[in-house]
Amino acid sequence: MKIAFALMENHHRSCVDEHFGRCDWYCIYDTKSKKSKYIENPNRYAEEGAGCTSAELLIEQGVETTVAGRFGSKVVEIFKKNNIQMIVPDDKNKTMEDLIKSIKN
Amino acid sequence: MSPRTKKIRSIQRRPNFAGFKPYGSQSASASEIPLNFEEYEAIKLCDYEILTHKEASAIMNVSRPTFTRIYESARRKIAKAFVEGGVISFEVGKSIVNTLWFTCNSCKITFSVTENNLHICPFCQSANTTENK
Repeated sequence: MKIAFALMENHHRSCVDEHFGRCDWYCIYDTKSKKSKYIENPNRYAEEGAGCTSAELLIEQGVETTVAGRFGSKVVEIFKKNNIQMIVPDDKNKTMEDLIKSIKN
Repeated sequence: MSPRTKKIRSIQRRPNFAGFKPYGSQSASASEIPLNFEEYEAIKLCDYEILTHKEASAIMNVSRPTFTRIYESARRKIAKAFVEGGVISFEVGKSIVNTLWFTCNSCKITFSVTENNLHICPFCQSANTTENK
C-alpha cells in the first residue's frame, strides 16, 4: 500500500501539515518496500485549486491512502470518487516517523 | 397546506466541538443561539475555503439560491451572537454527513471509509473504532 503524507519538511521527523493542498512536501511511503519518496508540492503558492491539482498528482503516483491535518471539500470529493482513504491524525505533534511506526501489516 | 419538505443538505465533517462562548461576560443570562451543521458548513465552504456560492451549493447538494439562504441565515445568527454576547451551540438541522469518518481508539487517528475497507483502522488494523457522529 502506498501512503502519501502531507509534510512541513522533507525528512522523516517532520510533522504532518495542517492543510493538504498547501503543504510544502509530500512523502510517498510504500508499506511493502518500506521506501519513501519526497515530492515538493508544486502547487503550494497557487491562487486556487492547489488541493485538486495535488490530489491528481498523488493519484497518478498510485497512492491509496493520504494523511493530512485537514482536507478541503473539493479534495474530499476527488478522493471519494477515486476510492482513496483519508487519514487525519488527532495529535498534531505526531511526526511521520511516529505514524509509520504504528502501521502493522 | 404544509410547507415543502427541506432537501437534505450534505456536509463533509461535523465540527469536533459543541459551540462557542463569549469570554469575559458579566451577565449569566446569555441567550443560546442554535447554529445548524449546514450553516456551519456554508460558512466553512464560503469563507474558509473561499469557494463561490455555486461551487459550494454543488458540494452541499442544494440549489444555488438555497445555499445563499443558508449562508445568509448563518451570518445573521453569528452576528446576533456576536453583538448580543450569545452562546452558539451546534445542532444537527436537516443534514447528513456525506463522508463517513471513524476514529481509531488505539492510535488516535481519524480516517474516512472507502468501499474495500470497513471500520478497521488502516494503521494498526484494530477493529476498536468509533464512528464520528
